[in-house]
Amino acid sequence: MDYAASEPGTTAVAPALAIKILIAGGFGVGKTTMVGTISEIRPLHTEELLSERGVGVDDTSGVEAKITTTVALDFGRITIREGLWLYLFGTPGQDRFWFMWDELALGALGAVVLADTRRLQDCFPAVDYFEQRGIPFVVGVNCFDGARRYDPAKVRRALGLVGTIPVVLCDVRERASVKEVLTTLVRYAVEGGQAVSSHLA
Amino acid sequence: MTGEDPGPLIRLFGLTGGRARPQGEAFDLVAIVRTVGGSYEPADLIPEHRAVLSLCRRPTPVADVAAHLALPLNITRVILGDLRREGFITIERPRPATQTIDERIYREVLHGLRSL
Repeated sequence: MDYAASEPGTTAVAPALAIKILIAGGFGVGKTTMVGTISEIRPLHTEELLSERGVGVDDTSGVEAKITTTVALDFGRITIREGLWLYLFGTPGQDRFWFMWDELALGALGAVVLADTRRLQDCFPAVDYFEQRGIPFVVGVNCFDGARRYDPAKVRRALGLVGTIPVVLCDVRERASVKEVLTTLVRYAVEGGQAVSSHLA
Repeated sequence: MTGEDPGPLIRLFGLTGGRARPQGEAFDLVAIVRTVGGSYEPADLIPEHRAVLSLCRRPTPVADVAAHLALPLNITRVILGDLRREGFITIERPRPATQTIDERIYREVLHGLRSL
């Protein structure tokens, strides 16, 4: 890492900005792979008290116990320059970790919803979540080996997406492909639907 | 039994005094933490506090502090809340990304992604 930029003597507090981007989608769709392909992946976890969140089943009847569970988060960092970073957070796939989403989504620039055409319904909850909160998102259709190449327009119809939301075919193992997905998201989030419609089918 | 490692949970409990939530105003995962320049650093700071003060001489987001300390995010937040209360660090409240990204930053990000 290049530390030359901050010489001793430059005492002014430079603005620092961490831009948050979420990677969502069903279990096993390639979220972790995507984060690892494009960024320096960092270990991050948290200990959460599930009992506070109203877990339905409680087997510890009669015992004053709180259930602590470890939630591991996919967390990657892309350094644009000193003091400007993109942070990628994979959203936990299991339903019982939905409460983490609100915190992850707060102030986020936008989200990538990864979809697997063999199990398209797995990404419905993520699409609903970001639509309801007005968080800009793009759909990345991860083209696994052996998966049929889908027409993005068909995926758009199947997901009931409004016209301007970009749908991009991608391979999350390929750096260039992930770059394209992220670039599409950044452009869409900042400029809106007009900016990206030109190069999409 | 003496001499046995009491295990990570006991250790984490000790770091936070059993608290699960940080004191003071809540702060985001990507809120920027900065060590307050020239602040007096008492000799009895625990290693984790020292590590934060050293790391955050360069502005560092909360999530990175947790990754650097190899501690759970919630524990890291309690530690950061304590250091803020003592005036050793500031934690900047991030504005929504759409408000902070001006034309220059937008271009920098697009260029940065392209050159990865």
